Amino acid sequence: MTVPLLSLIIFLPAAGAAVLMFLRSDDAVRWTALGFTVVDFALTIAMLAGFDTTTHEMQFTETRAWVPAMGITYALGVDGISALFVFLTALLGWICVLASWVAIDRKVKEFMVALLSMQALMLGVFCALDLFLFYVCWEAMLIPMYLIIGVWGGDGRVYAAFKFFLYTLAGSLLFLVGVIVLYFHGGETFDILALTAQDLPFRVQSWLFFAFLIAFAVKVPMVPVHTWLPDAHVQAPTAGSIILAGVLLKMGAYGFLRFSLPMLPEASVYYSTLMLALSALAIVYGGFLALAQDDLKKLVAYSSISHMGFVTMGIFSLNLRGLEGGILQMFNHGVTTGALFLFVGVIYERTHTRSIANYGGLMKVAPVYTGFLALFTLSSMALPGTNSFVGELLVLSGGFAANMAVGTAAVLGALLGAAYLLGMYRKVALGPASVGERYEIRDVNAREMAAILPLAVFVLWVGLYPKPFLNVIDASVKHLLTEVHGHRSGQ
Amino acid sequence: MTGATLFQWALASLPEIIVITGACILLILGQLVRKGQEDLLVWASVAVVLIAALATFMLAGEVRPAYSGMFIADRFAVFFKFVFYLATVLTFLLSRKYADIEGIGSSEYYVMLLFALSGMMIMASATDLLSIYVGLELMVLCTYVLTGFLRHERRSNEAALKYVILGAVSTAIFLYGVSLVYGLTGTTQLDAMAAAVSGDPLDPGLLLAVVFIVAGLVFKVGAVPFHMWLPDVYEGAPTTITAFMSVGPKAAGFAVILRVFLNPLVAASDVWIIVAVIAVVTLALGSFVALVQDNFKRLLAYSSIAHAGFATFGVVAGGQDGVASVMLYLLIYAFMNLGIFSAVIMMRNGDFSGEVIEDYAGFAKSHPGLGLLMLLYLFSLAGIPPTAGFFAKFYVLVALVEQGFVFLAVIAVLLSAVAAYFYIRIVMVIYMREPERAFEPALTPLVRATLACTAAGTIGIGLFPGWFLRLAQQSAFGG
Repeated sequence: MTVPLLSLIIFLPAAGAAVLMFLRSDDAVRWTALGFTVVDFALTIAMLAGFDTTTHEMQFTETRAWVPAMGITYALGVDGISALFVFLTALLGWICVLASWVAIDRKVKEFMVALLSMQALMLGVFCALDLFLFYVCWEAMLIPMYLIIGVWGGDGRVYAAFKFFLYTLAGSLLFLVGVIVLYFHGGETFDILALTAQDLPFRVQSWLFFAFLIAFAVKVPMVPVHTWLPDAHVQAPTAGSIILAGVLLKMGAYGFLRFSLPMLPEASVYYSTLMLALSALAIVYGGFLALAQDDLKKLVAYSSISHMGFVTMGIFSLNLRGLEGGILQMFNHGVTTGALFLFVGVIYERTHTRSIANYGGLMKVAPVYTGFLALFTLSSMALPGTNSFVGELLVLSGGFAANMAVGTAAVLGALLGAAYLLGMYRKVALGPASVGERYEIRDVNAREMAAILPLAVFVLWVGLYPKPFLNVIDASVKHLLTEVHGHRSGQ
Repeated sequence: MTGATLFQWALASLPEIIVITGACILLILGQLVRKGQEDLLVWASVAVVLIAALATFMLAGEVRPAYSGMFIADRFAVFFKFVFYLATVLTFLLSRKYADIEGIGSSEYYVMLLFALSGMMIMASATDLLSIYVGLELMVLCTYVLTGFLRHERRSNEAALKYVILGAVSTAIFLYGVSLVYGLTGTTQLDAMAAAVSGDPLDPGLLLAVVFIVAGLVFKVGAVPFHMWLPDVYEGAPTTITAFMSVGPKAAGFAVILRVFLNPLVAASDVWIIVAVIAVVTLALGSFVALVQDNFKRLLAYSSIAHAGFATFGVVAGGQDGVASVMLYLLIYAFMNLGIFSAVIMMRNGDFSGEVIEDYAGFAKSHPGLGLLMLLYLFSLAGIPPTAGFFAKFYVLVALVEQGFVFLAVIAVLLSAVAAYFYIRIVMVIYMREPERAFEPALTPLVRATLACTAAGTIGIGLFPGWFLRLAQQSAFGG
């Protein structure tokens, strides 16, 4: 019998959460949480090491009966697309623990339990091959995330937590009805692969496409259902923001990749122009909003809306470059924006202000901090040599191939990105060292460095040598494309 | 009638006989029990229910019709009887300490609950409009008295009075429907009624009769437009009785509604449109009005209206999955709702009532374990996985979509997003507010046991719904 690797990866953080319940001292809680997440990360590396990049088939699959009366199974498996996100989730998992080491100083145990349960559920979402299992994990994430924002967040946390909860719940519930409709149209099964193989009538596909769209668009989030995101981001503690930006926003895009495109191919092609237009709108609108922000976290939050616009644009360009770029950009956004939120958290712990106007000349007092901040800022605006450049270039070339106008709008959005990011960096890091007079600022310490360095490594690795990452997703993306277009030409 | 038939009939209704005999013995025993020995009453009552449960279980193997078509002991009835046993036993366990604090420790309290239980059991087994009526009245007469059990409290008296008057009206409506049925078909038996109309186009008078019967039953489950009594009665009644009423009699009402709807009489007519409208309006009203409640018991009353609405969607769906979905819903609802009521009941200590939602501010800070339990029940009531409440709603939606009512399913989920708001608001108060005063929950071992049992049900059915689902499906058409 083989080792159920994916189950191990999912249940290790859950077991960690259970162990934490019995610990008393805060330090023991922190170290144990770190231990479990690091081992989990090591397991995902082992998974990638054993991953066969030449096939699009699901790997490391496991199937057990769960609710036999309705054909619900506990089925797991990863293809290239999900493997990348399993890895990203586990990577950000221990970085989140490090990021909340001192930032969370009350109810540490409860926080870490919520964080680890969150990680287990997110991994469950990416590994699930059963729609019911997927939905349970997808929806259950609301509970720990609601608590993370609402209990440990900033002053407006209660409002933000409510808004986050209701927006995502309302979206997901319609998705649930869609799932059930799909269940009956797809031969009474929740098996994702079996449902993918079904040919549904176009009318059904259209309805399902919009039912799914609402759920996924809220999670991504796409304009106009994005308004929960700035609130949630600004109020959430640093680790919460990292999870939100790094993984949670990816769930929506992942939903498009796993459900909308392969299960509803004709509807996806038919409505792709609409989706491209919405993506372009998100890119430009998010960029303008970010340009107007004085709050550091809000700026990064709005930039996320813009960046996720690139992701959806890549996906719905429905060509190889666009799709690969979109998926790579999801990974990049997780690394880069996760890091930017980490940086905001690091400086906020020292100054307790997020207003850009309060900063200035940070480079003189914290050179290492600003040096790394420069790297991630440049990565966020997609400078050549950084990870986002590769992704954005692919997305843009895919976008132009799909629709000229949308591609042009996206380029404008990229320009906006340079404007607000460079502006932010100038105001925060350069100029006279006024911030040093107002606040006592130490440069990054070893613990913060441990969280920052791996992210920096990925920024440069993907930027300079993206081949291993593209290799992982390549076979799956090509297969996805034949599913989307194959169905269409087969008619 | 031979002795053998009589024996068969008695055997079929053995659980009911046990409960009624037990209640009578307890009535006498209650006069002998001295002060300070009330524990004995609780354990004796629990024992009666457990013996009845054992009898039910032993007899569950086959279908036993009895009393010339008035009564049937089938798997459908068995399923409901176990829901009633669960509700009653947990109410007994919760009552001991609460009754002490409220000063209502007399034996009649337990006797009344047992009689109410027997009424509910008769309702679940009844196959004749008259035996339904007997069970119904036995149940509601007991709950009228129990509602007014806090004699020194005006709120309780008012609630009981309101309940009696409105209850009588609903009974009258129900009886009018029964008399119409009898006048038109010459029978009150559900099966015979079906035979009398099969083939012919439906008599509009008969449709009217069904509407009257449904109206009478809808009153008991607290669905719109007969819900007005519910918030006041729930608020005024002793909290233990509120907990009991929100689960037991409600399930009994649904048992009868399902029994009537299993019947081809209704399946043939377009009554489902009426029921669909009732379901939508009930869910909407319960959800929206609950948003503005400050009193926890009132909020749970509206929540219970909303849940009745959601379960009614399962009735609309009909068919085996529809019926099974309602049954599973009620079982799960029994666990989670008794769980949240246990939390409210345990807050009643000394002069502290724990009825206002604000009382729970910062509760999770001082009592992390209990806070987590409340979180579990509230998220389950809101229908968030992996709790049982999610699966309950999920299966109702599956039944709806299976019958092609996708539009109704969309309405149901949108309204349950509204309902989620007020449960999450309580979670917010528990977790995200600073405590205003210290409070010590009345945590007796019995209350702890109740909390553990309900928590196990809420999370257990959520994670492993398979066995319970099959049970409900097999019981749905057991007769």
